[in-house]
Amino acid sequence: MAEEQKQGQAAPAEAPRAEGGGASGGGQGQGGHSGQGGHGGPGGGHGGPRREGGGPRREGGPGGGPGGPRRGKRQYFRKKKVCKFCVEKMDLIDYKRADILSQFVQERGKILPRRMTGVCARHQRWLGVAIKRARNIALLPFAGSAAGSTAPKAVEAHKS
Amino acid sequence: MEERLYDLIFIARPATPEDEIKKVISSIEHACTEKGGKIEKAEHWGTRKLAYRVAKHREGMYYYHQIRTTHGELITELERRLHVQDSVIKYLTIRLDEDLKRQKKLGDKREKRAARRPRRPAAAAPAPTPAPAPEQHASAS
Repeated sequence: MAEEQKQGQAAPAEAPRAEGGGASGGGQGQGGHSGQGGHGGPGGGHGGPRREGGGPRREGGPGGGPGGPRRGKRQYFRKKKVCKFCVEKMDLIDYKRADILSQFVQERGKILPRRMTGVCARHQRWLGVAIKRARNIALLPFAGSAAGSTAPKAVEAHKS
Repeated sequence: MEERLYDLIFIARPATPEDEIKKVISSIEHACTEKGGKIEKAEHWGTRKLAYRVAKHREGMYYYHQIRTTHGELITELERRLHVQDSVIKYLTIRLDEDLKRQKKLGDKREKRAARRPRRPAAAAPAPTPAPAPEQHASAS
């Protein structure tokens, strides 16, 4: 799985370099994963308008890949995020590992969206369950009650 | 009824005397032996900071047990016992076997695929990165 993903990652980058019309060849090589590669592009576009604007004009995916640098408008290169759990081949997300889970929540305990962390759909689903379990046993905060001692103080300050 | 695996975590007040804790644990063990359960793992995680206040405490002593049983009533019994203990401020039981089953299934699948992969490059789909490039060259020339 992880290997295939890496290949999917590498292929769109290489195809345009070899030749402009090479996208079709890349598509063949990727097979079912071309969908995923394409997903990464538009997904980035989704994140783009919110955070740094100017994303919507450019189409993501293999076609947009060569277009971006040629126009010279692409100021940044968004590294394609890979699901951390897929890379490590985790088939079970343990709710007891608060150290891992805390990487995928905000400081105040909100679960981070997939578009920020790059977690695949399946693992995000499991992750959500694990985080909710961890919350239940006070390993992770529920949204709102941030980092133990700081939150109540803030509330008190607000009251006075 | 089939066998099931459960996680049982309880948090005790940080300043609970040890014999009090021992009482709780022995009551868990007692309930297990009575109702036909087996404690597979028993761990003490020590005093940890709680992510939020529980019963006005910011810290708690975590105790972890893994229990295998065929009787679901055992879990209700354990939860009832933990509930009445004053030294226990929070507890959680979680059914694990379904998740483990899924993990095993996926692991097997991955192994199977890994075993199949070495054969495949020779037959149909070659390793995608090196192969498409020569093909493109051939079509271009």
